[in-house]
Amino acid sequence: MMTRIDYRALDWKLIGAFLALSLIGIVTIFSAQFYADSAYKQTYFLRQSLWLAIALMAFLAVLHAPQRLFDAGAYTFYGVALVLLVAVLAVGHSRMGASRWFDIGPFSVSPSDLGKVALLLTLSRFFAYTRLPIASKRRLGLSAALALIPMALVLKQPDLGTSLVFMVLLFALWFWSGLSPWYMLLILSPLISLVAAFYWLSWVLYFVVLIAFLGILRPGLLFSIVMMLFNLGFGMITPMIWNHLKDYQKMRILVFLDPGYDPRGAGYQIIQSKIAIGSGGILGKGFLNGSQARLDYLPERHTDFIFSVFGEEFGLLGTLIVIGLFLYIFYRCLGIAVRCRSKFASNVIFGAISIFFFQFIVNIGMTLGLMPVTGLPLPFVSYGGTALLTSWVLVGLIVISEYHQHEY
Amino acid sequence: MDRYTLSLDSRRRVAQGLIVAAALFILFGLFKLQIIQREEMTQLAENNRIRVVPVEAQRGSMLDREGRIIVSNRPSYTVSVVPAEEVKGRTLNNLSRIIGFDTLQLRKRIRKTQVTPYQPAPVRKDIPFDIVAVLEEQNSEFPGVSYQLDQVRMYDDSLAAEAFTGHVGEVSEQEMAKAVAGMYRMGATIGKKGLEKQYDQPLRGMEGTEFIEVTAFGEILGPYEGREPVQPVAGSDLLLTIDEDVQRTAVESLDSFCCGAVVAIDPRNGEILCMTSDPGFDPNVFSGIVTDSLWQQISNDSTHPLLNRPINGLYPPGSTAKLLTLGAGLESGVIDENTSFKSCGGGYQFGNRYFKCWEKRGHGTTTAIHAVEMSCDVYFYQLGLRVGVDQLSQYYSLCGFSRPTGIDLPNESSGLNPNSKYYDRRYGKNGWTKALVLNNAIGQGEILVTPLQLAQFYAGLANWGKVYRPHVVRGIRKPNGQESLVRPELSFTLPFSTRTLSILREGLRLVTEGGRGTARRLRNELYTVCGKTGTAQNPHGKDHSWFVGFAPIENPEIVVCTIVENAGHGSEVAAPIVGKVIETYMKKKLGIPLQVAQTATLETKP
Repeated sequence: MMTRIDYRALDWKLIGAFLALSLIGIVTIFSAQFYADSAYKQTYFLRQSLWLAIALMAFLAVLHAPQRLFDAGAYTFYGVALVLLVAVLAVGHSRMGASRWFDIGPFSVSPSDLGKVALLLTLSRFFAYTRLPIASKRRLGLSAALALIPMALVLKQPDLGTSLVFMVLLFALWFWSGLSPWYMLLILSPLISLVAAFYWLSWVLYFVVLIAFLGILRPGLLFSIVMMLFNLGFGMITPMIWNHLKDYQKMRILVFLDPGYDPRGAGYQIIQSKIAIGSGGILGKGFLNGSQARLDYLPERHTDFIFSVFGEEFGLLGTLIVIGLFLYIFYRCLGIAVRCRSKFASNVIFGAISIFFFQFIVNIGMTLGLMPVTGLPLPFVSYGGTALLTSWVLVGLIVISEYHQHEY
Repeated sequence: MDRYTLSLDSRRRVAQGLIVAAALFILFGLFKLQIIQREEMTQLAENNRIRVVPVEAQRGSMLDREGRIIVSNRPSYTVSVVPAEEVKGRTLNNLSRIIGFDTLQLRKRIRKTQVTPYQPAPVRKDIPFDIVAVLEEQNSEFPGVSYQLDQVRMYDDSLAAEAFTGHVGEVSEQEMAKAVAGMYRMGATIGKKGLEKQYDQPLRGMEGTEFIEVTAFGEILGPYEGREPVQPVAGSDLLLTIDEDVQRTAVESLDSFCCGAVVAIDPRNGEILCMTSDPGFDPNVFSGIVTDSLWQQISNDSTHPLLNRPINGLYPPGSTAKLLTLGAGLESGVIDENTSFKSCGGGYQFGNRYFKCWEKRGHGTTTAIHAVEMSCDVYFYQLGLRVGVDQLSQYYSLCGFSRPTGIDLPNESSGLNPNSKYYDRRYGKNGWTKALVLNNAIGQGEILVTPLQLAQFYAGLANWGKVYRPHVVRGIRKPNGQESLVRPELSFTLPFSTRTLSILREGLRLVTEGGRGTARRLRNELYTVCGKTGTAQNPHGKDHSWFVGFAPIENPEIVVCTIVENAGHGSEVAAPIVGKVIETYMKKKLGIPLQVAQTATLETKP
């Protein structure tokens, strides 16, 4: 069963970049919880190390797996992931009102991470082999359905951040399989209309833009009319729903759309995160010397706000290294995705870096106070076993695809 | 390639562009924080403590229909502990000496209410000023202890209005779990019952937030300028349909009895004019922290002060239901207004059982309206037999019984409306006889109704069949003065024709105005009034006393329903209470001063 590979021909620079991020993560988790009041929290870094060991084994397993396993098994993985996502809603372990984890022995496993990989493989396969024309409604509809099912299940947990990742994955692969971004915008325009209609002036302006857009893109008269009607319809629903809501229901929606609406919870974290990163300055306060982290100001400091801890202790020098590593990875993987002859492999690589990219920008944007709090962790660096494991499986897929890049 | 697609090369360039844009975005953020704002942030980190202090929004008041305040707030002090600034072994020990909780309880309270270790966790609300003075004078004895001036709910206890106002309390863990994150803060005040619960969202407004900078030693430096404080938005006021004078009359006239309820409705629109449950409880005690012993005492009281009798008390309607039986008989055509049955000689033999009439001497032969006037049981036994168990039960349903009225109060009861299916389940098929319908026809047996349902039924009779949904809130007034009024809503229509309704109303008129009426004592010279007495047998003790009445007969504006538990005949106890409530309402309407009304009371006629 095991496929032989030549280790010398692997992309060690790329693997090294991923490994560097993972190690930076463990070091920072160690520092983040070094002064924690419970022994359990102090050992988070040990658990993360153990998970990294497991993740690296999974990485090796992917390298040696039969070459067509992920391609042929994509739909099976997808089915299994759906079952797990349903199961976690029923029997999952809940923390803070959300059921997202299975407890297996001392570990918690989150099936939404597995769902990401399964959807990535499924969509990659679907787009690689379907003969439907790129902009055909069936092609777009079927792929959207594949993405929306797991997305809805994750949203039910509820986990808005992760469900957005599924959405991003769908758009990324639509784009990568050749769909014009303008056309994607057009398809999504009724949703934009729904949001724009919250205020009449913005809705009118939006329609001016839409008509101009249709004029430039010229997608056919019938199609344009149908799109306009959809936009009108969706936009008209908004005020109708909104006006029938009670005040408290409106408030719930606002809290849902913008968790920063709650200044004592999420807003507080943002202030503290900005103070942490800003006070790190150019050189940082040094390892284990971050007063913000030590003083307990950052409640989620080993997961969502890990970058703040790192920024405080290692300063601009450190943060530039982390940003640099990520940018190097994105740039290099994009190149591989372009070069890969196998369409499936190319899709997998582009989808994988899209996930990493989205989480990277949302998470770091959040710690810098540039984006709302969504609760998405930083890939490879934040504490989280299943996330690390699935990330390294993706690394395995990227590396082995590059290794076989000349094969179809 | 058509215009819907993009070549691989363009895709690559778009993706590269995105990566570069993201890099610039993040580098911008990093440079801004770590280079431009470095000084400022370092300063903040050094003497860092930004204390996030919630600013409670003023909870909306409740006003009666004339704008008189029924529920409002009063200022009070809340003591809090900032966990991070607490000195172990000192803070809590000293605090427990003066505020009455032991250290274990204090520890539990802190754990329950703390959001972060740097925010004050409220431990006790509504503490007296002399304790605040001690905290102020000896503040070095209480490291980490702070106190805030905030507000506590204040109810006018003399109005015994908790049947509709409900009360507030501290948010429970279950309530926190059910709400969306960020809706409530631990230790926040939330409506627990009644209007406070039903209208919690508009009443509560929105909490504000202040960001205060303090040094590592807890010394306050002033507001943190990096973040705008969030101003609280005061809650909206509830404009009630209640009339304080009518409410007070109801409470005072019910006061001398142990247990009962009064509810009054304006039949023209469903507005509740008064509502009280006796015995009640003082809702003010729930505003602070309810101790276990107080809770035990209230919930173990054998008179059930927590039972909200107007909407949750379940009683057999007794003779007040005879109007329904008569309506069913007329409407289904089994009788007309001239039908008379076997004469009443004080009872009725059915099978091997003898069913007594309340009047041992008997009523002789009567027609429908006189049977209502004298409340003759024997007439209704025979009518009930003709209508039948299921048809009668159907009419009960059509008249709004066995389902909530839809009043704007939470947790309303439905009552019980037995039919043959119910009896089959309960006693087995063939395990019961038609004799049950005799009881049902006079409102006895297993039928259970709430006082509000009965009032609603009579409001329908008074309003020519149109029943408006009962409601306590007339409108909501935002802090900016903008009012949104509640429109009266037609709930359902009684299944009676105008002809049937006029016969029923004639019967009701005779109860007070007829020569043999059971409530003749309500007659007076100021206005016309009518109604129906009821005496509900109660297996656990003395009969319950009912009366439902309305006035003026020609164009009714108020329907009052009263039950007094274990008090005997309806005509003796409940009818005078209804009379007094109606009197207050009518005198106000006619412009007669109420003080005078109390002394020169109703001219009661023999």
